[in-house]
Amino acid sequence: MNKSIRVALIGNPNTGKTSIFNQLTGLKQKVGNYPGITVEKKEGICKLPNRAKAHIFDLPGTYSLNTNSLDERVVAELLLDQKDGDYPDLAVVITEVENLKRNLFLFTQVKDLRIPTLLVINMADLIPKKGISLNVDALEKKLDTKIALVSTRKGSGILHLKELIANYHNLSAGPTTVISKIAPEYFSKLKQALPTENLYRLWLAIAQKMSLETKNAIPPASLPILSHKDLKQLQHRETVLRYQFINNALKETYLVDFKTAKGFRAVLDKTFTHKVFGYILFFMILLTIFQAIFDWSSYPSDFIDAQFSEISGWIKSNFPAGILTDLLAEGVISGIGGIAVFIPQIAFLFFFISLLEESGYMSRVVFLMDRLMRPFGLSGKSVVPLISGTACAIPAVMATRTIENWKERLITILVIPFTTCSARLPVYLILIALVIPDDSILGLSYQALTLMLLYLLGFGMAIFSAMVLNRILKMENRVFFIAEMPNYRLPLLKNVGYTVLEKTKSFVIGAGKIILALAIILWFLGSNGFSKNFRNAETIVSERIEKQGLTPYSKNYIKNNIDLYLKNIHTSPTDRDQVSGKRAIQDSVRIRTRNLEENAKRQEIASYKLEHSYMGYAGKGIEPLVKPLGYDWKIGIAVLTSFAAREVFVGTLATIYSVGNDQEETIKNRMAGELDESGEKPLFNLASGISLMLFYAFAMQCMSTLAVVKKETNSWRWPLVQLLFMSAFAYLVALTAFQLLK
Amino acid sequence: MELLQQILAYSILMVAVGYLVWRYLLPKPVTGSKKEDTKACGQNDCGCR
Repeated sequence: MNKSIRVALIGNPNTGKTSIFNQLTGLKQKVGNYPGITVEKKEGICKLPNRAKAHIFDLPGTYSLNTNSLDERVVAELLLDQKDGDYPDLAVVITEVENLKRNLFLFTQVKDLRIPTLLVINMADLIPKKGISLNVDALEKKLDTKIALVSTRKGSGILHLKELIANYHNLSAGPTTVISKIAPEYFSKLKQALPTENLYRLWLAIAQKMSLETKNAIPPASLPILSHKDLKQLQHRETVLRYQFINNALKETYLVDFKTAKGFRAVLDKTFTHKVFGYILFFMILLTIFQAIFDWSSYPSDFIDAQFSEISGWIKSNFPAGILTDLLAEGVISGIGGIAVFIPQIAFLFFFISLLEESGYMSRVVFLMDRLMRPFGLSGKSVVPLISGTACAIPAVMATRTIENWKERLITILVIPFTTCSARLPVYLILIALVIPDDSILGLSYQALTLMLLYLLGFGMAIFSAMVLNRILKMENRVFFIAEMPNYRLPLLKNVGYTVLEKTKSFVIGAGKIILALAIILWFLGSNGFSKNFRNAETIVSERIEKQGLTPYSKNYIKNNIDLYLKNIHTSPTDRDQVSGKRAIQDSVRIRTRNLEENAKRQEIASYKLEHSYMGYAGKGIEPLVKPLGYDWKIGIAVLTSFAAREVFVGTLATIYSVGNDQEETIKNRMAGELDESGEKPLFNLASGISLMLFYAFAMQCMSTLAVVKKETNSWRWPLVQLLFMSAFAYLVALTAFQLLK
Repeated sequence: MELLQQILAYSILMVAVGYLVWRYLLPKPVTGSKKEDTKACGQNDCGCR
C-alpha cells in the first residue's frame, strides 16, 4: 500500500492558495480577497495519478517565515518542528504570476529549510493579458525546482501539479542561498555548536525565538548570543540576500511589458482609494446594497411570511384539536417562520458582500479604511475583522489573530460586537418596516437610508470606542499595515453562490435550533398559568364584554374591516358578483360583523390568558425596567430571550403574538396591530421603534460572542467588561431616544 | 388521542429544554468540545492562551 504524502500548501495571502486546495481535495471553502482570511489550518485528501494519496494541509497565508502574527507563526512552527505529525514531506509554495517577485521570497525561505519544495505559479491565464513573458524551463533551473503553471479560474494545470506532487522524490532539497554569507563568523560559531543541524533552520529558530525539536538539540546557552539590534540587522541582510537571488533568477526569465499591462488597474485603484471619491463611492455602493435588500427581497420575504401563516392555519384546521396541534401551529411554525422570512434579506446581503470580495474591491476598502482608522489607534488590519463582523462577530473575533500587537488586537476584539452583524438584520428589518414610512427622497427610500445609518452607527461606535480604549489602555507600539491589492476579477458566480448558500445555511440552522427551542418553551409558558384568572379567562372576559362591550381596538378593527369590505363591494368585480342588491349587502355585512365580533372576543380571551400565563407574570415582573424605554412586557420578554442571540427577538415576538391566535396573519401584521397600554396608539411607533433599534445596535446580546471573547482573551474579565458596558450604554441610549421622541 | 397529544407535546418540550441546557449551561467537557490546543504561540502576553 502506498504511503500518504504529507503536503503543505504555503503562500502569501491572496495567491489563490485556498482555491488550489479546493481543486486538489475537492473540499469547498470560502475564497476571499482580503488579507488574513485563512487563519486556520485546513486539511484534505488528494488522489494522485499514481494511485497514491496526498494529505494536503492548507496553511495560513504568510508573507515570510519572519513572523509577525499568530497565523504566520503557525507556519514557521510547523516547518521547524520535524517531530510534528503534520511536518510535510513536500512543501508546495503558491505564488501569483503578477506578484511573483515578492512571492518568491517565501519560496526561498522554505526551500532553504531543505524541504523538497515545488513552485506553483497561479493565475497563469493572466500571463498573456498582462504582457508577461515567462521562461518556465529557465526559471526551474535557476530556482532548482519544478514549476506548475496553474489557473484556478480556468481549472488548468491541476493535473500537472498532481503529477509533480506524486513524483516529489525527484525534487532537489538543496538551498537557494548560502545563509552564512550574511554573517560568516556568527554562523561558523553556530555550526560548531550544532554541527549536524541545518544552519538556516537553526538561524530561523533563533530569530523567531522558537525551540528546535530535534534529537541533537542542545541547551540554548551554548549558542552564540545576539543582541536585538544585531538580530534585526542580520534579518535585514537576509532579506537583501534573498532579493539579490530572486532578482537574478527573474532577470532573464520573467519580463513584463508595463505599458500595455498596468493602465486600467492603476486608474481603478486611484479612484477606489481616493481620499474623497473613494469614500463617496464606498458609501454609494453601501446605499445601493441596502436599497436592494429592501426593494428586491420584500417579494420573496412577503411570500415566505404568507406561506407560514397558511401552514399554521392549515395545521389548525386539519389536525385533531389538542395541545400538540396548538404547539405546532402557534409555537413551532411561528417560531420557524419568524426566522425564515429573513432568508432573502440575508442572502442578498451576503450576495453583495461576496461580490465585493470576489471582485477585489473589498481589499481597496480595507486600504481606504486604514487611513480612517489610524487616528483612532487602529490599523487596516483591524478593518478586516470589523468588516467580517457584519456577518458574525464570532469569526470576526477569531480573525483578530492576524493582528500582532496585543493591545490593538484586544481593542479590536472589544469593539467588534458594535458592528452590525447579520443577527441584527431581522430585528432592524421588522422594526424599520413597522415604524419608518415606506416613502423616498430623491429616489432613496427612507427605510434603506435608516438601515444604512444603523450600519454606519455601529461602525462609528466601534471606532469611537476604539479611540477611548486606546487612551485608557495606552497602546505602546504601532504596527505597519501591509495590504494585498489583488487583481480586479469578474466574480465567479460559483464562489458567490457558495458563499450565499453557506452563510444563509449557517444562519438559519445555527440560529434556527435555538429559536425553535425557545419558541417551544415560550409557547408552553404562554399557554399555561397557575392563577384563577388564567383558568377562568373565558368567563371573566365574556362577562366584561357583556357589561362594557369589546375593547376600543377590537371595535376599531371591526369597523375598518367592514369599511374595506363595503369599499370592495363597489370596486371589486368578484365581491360585486357575489353580493348584489341592498338587502343582500346588509345581510352580508351583518354576518361578517358577527364573525368578526366572535374573532375579536376569542382574541381578547387569548390576550387575557397570555397576560395571566407564566410568561405574562415573568414579563410583568421585568416591565418596570423596560417601560421607560417604551416597551411593554411582551417586548421585555423578547429582549430577555434574545440575550442568547439577537435574532431570537423576532421569533419570540412571533410566538408570543401567535399564542391563542386563530387568525392567519403575517408576523408583521400581528406586530403592527399591537397597541400600547392606552389601547389607542400602536405599540411599535417611531419612539419605541427607534429606542429598540438603538438598544439592539449597542447591546451585547450574544452569548456565543461572549464565549469566544473569553476564549481569545483567556479571561472572563474582558467579556464581562464588554457585557456590562454595552448593556448599560444601550439602555441609556434607548431610554434617551424614547424620552426625546415620545 | 388527547393523551397521545399531551405525551408528544411534553416530549417536545423536554427536548427543547434539554437542547438549551446542553447548549448554554453544561460545562465544556460534558458537551464534548474540541481538545484544547496546548501549543503556546511563543509571544509574551499575546493573550492567545
